[in-house]
Amino acid sequence: MALPTCTIRPALQCLWRAQALGSGSIPSSRSFRVTTSRQDEAAIETTKFDTPPPRPSELDPNTVSNRLQEQYLLRITGLHPIGSRRRRAALKSSDHIPFEQMPYQCFQEARKVLQEDREEKLEKITEMRRRIARWQNVPAEECGGEYVKKGKLVRMQKHLEELKILADINDPVIKKRFEDGMGDMNRPIYRHLANKKWREYKRLLLMQRISQMHIVPDILSHIDPTAEVSLGFGRRTVQPGEFVDSRVSERPARLKIQVFNKGERFVSIAVMDPDVPDEKRDTFSSRCHFLAVNIPISPTSTSVPLSKTDKDSQIIYPWLPPYAEKGAPYHRLAVFVLQQDKPALGTDGKEDVESLRTDFGPRRELFSIRRLIQQRRMDPIGIHLFRSKWDEGTDEVVQRAGIDGFNVEFGRRKPEKGLYKKKDGARYR
Amino acid sequence: MHPPRIRIVPLATTCHSCLLLRLRPPPLLPLTLVRPSTSASQGRANKGAQGPGKRLGAKKAASELVVPGNIIFRQRGTHWYPGENCAMGRDHTIFAKEKGYVTYYRDPETHPKRKYIGIVFQRGEKLPVPRNEPRRRRLGLVGKERELSTVATDPPTTAENQNSEVGDLVNAQKILKSQIMVARWKLPTTKNVELRPGYQYRESNWSIGRTAEQANVKVREYKRGDRFLAWRKLNARKARNAERRALGSRQNKGKGKKR
Repeated sequence: MALPTCTIRPALQCLWRAQALGSGSIPSSRSFRVTTSRQDEAAIETTKFDTPPPRPSELDPNTVSNRLQEQYLLRITGLHPIGSRRRRAALKSSDHIPFEQMPYQCFQEARKVLQEDREEKLEKITEMRRRIARWQNVPAEECGGEYVKKGKLVRMQKHLEELKILADINDPVIKKRFEDGMGDMNRPIYRHLANKKWREYKRLLLMQRISQMHIVPDILSHIDPTAEVSLGFGRRTVQPGEFVDSRVSERPARLKIQVFNKGERFVSIAVMDPDVPDEKRDTFSSRCHFLAVNIPISPTSTSVPLSKTDKDSQIIYPWLPPYAEKGAPYHRLAVFVLQQDKPALGTDGKEDVESLRTDFGPRRELFSIRRLIQQRRMDPIGIHLFRSKWDEGTDEVVQRAGIDGFNVEFGRRKPEKGLYKKKDGARYR
Repeated sequence: MHPPRIRIVPLATTCHSCLLLRLRPPPLLPLTLVRPSTSASQGRANKGAQGPGKRLGAKKAASELVVPGNIIFRQRGTHWYPGENCAMGRDHTIFAKEKGYVTYYRDPETHPKRKYIGIVFQRGEKLPVPRNEPRRRRLGLVGKERELSTVATDPPTTAENQNSEVGDLVNAQKILKSQIMVARWKLPTTKNVELRPGYQYRESNWSIGRTAEQANVKVREYKRGDRFLAWRKLNARKARNAERRALGSRQNKGKGKKR
């Protein structure tokens, strides 16, 4: 490439410059606008090149497509660019014509089909709602028993939810809004899309880590996560199973719990460590690093900073910083989100903190999450995990937390002697 | 065993045959007679012997005590697979990883067709462990008292503490940056680096030669007939050599010395 690019690709250069101006006056979009003669257009473009490029403060997060400008945008306005760079670049050169005015005949015909389908679905939804209301008033004897009636209603409700999703699933605007992260989690369609996205990759990764690190069956016998849990300390986000520095995890974690079914509910959060060395029994025991109950969450209120939980009405065991002994194998820390109200029980779902304190006592080492789930009929809906090993900061962290008996270093046990001692001579005669 | 049949053609028969014989002489008898073998002598025929036995099979029976490294089963191929607290060697030998008691078992939930050898910590325990139960693990380590590395000072402020990792990194980066700046500032004064023939980007030879002078390295001036210095140098060399020889003789101890 001995020659400068401008001499080789003048057309491309021209395109780039037009994009940088943020104007939609690219020759390709000529067909959409009120027609002007070719000569006029050329004249307009040449004059436009003389204007200076936009300042960083004028940048739009929807259309920034240059890495440097993205950085400026983030630094100055604190706004993250929306969507992919390719998409932003495409948006910059687009004329933002609404879908209804797009000149493509086939496209408009297709839109009509989709709209008809949506109308049909909406009709079905109103019909389904009417039927559900009617069946709720019918006495159970006429349907063939309480059980049959209940089953019928549940099935109808499920079908209704499906219809709600089907009504919106083909809407390109909804797809766009979801991809921009602007989806409203109160609407079933956005919850459906978010759930699908989570299950595509993040949940698979989480399940792999759970099985690789033997969280099942070491802590729980079975888990089927239905809520997305993300975990972080301060600014640092933690991937499932990652090693976290003991100084970083000294402060309580912050959780983001995204549920994909509607309604408010109370959850308990428990952080368990199943790798506490127990030298006397020559095995490992477990310890609860955090336990709080009655934490309200919903599809829209997802943030749960553990430091903000209430000491009197929620916390049973306050945050104990994760630590690993020197020389001992790494510690796994599993964060469980347990849903309290099971719909079948018909309670408001709140737990009595005092009774829990008396039941599970002051000792973290004796706490068993299996027992909690079994006794209180809780449902593990979410899980996250990270690991901790001894590092330079652990001693400080432990001393600050006031944990005693940490001045231990684990080492290999010497092999036993005398296993193959020669037996007494009498046996060989 | 019958002797091989040999066809003997009569010499004089009918007149007609005489005519034929005259036209075509009778075939001569073969000089050597071939006796077909009745048992193979080549190939894999007589190599049926199997060689020495390889002493394969179980070395430890069920519920026998083993320690780490003990060989439990020798085999060709995988008749048995390593289960709990066992491992498989290069030649498919199953050996113990923990001290315990040997169990031979099947685990249909993991693999319906495989047979496993495992080790349990308590005599009489059964394998496989039910799937919903926690794993049975042994610590296998001993604790020793140690000094804690640092004594806790005042707890750091919240903002710093939250990003302690980030803060450390930033500090380190700052230091590195300042060092680089200093180095860059110093570089042109100490070295006259230039592009030399053969794409060598280095100092020129004359400037290398003047390095000592620039660094104020003092060297004693050479005097032509300084015998005192020569004698001191000689003695030092002799002492050095003697020392080296002494070291060498200690290394070669036991091999015997030539006299």
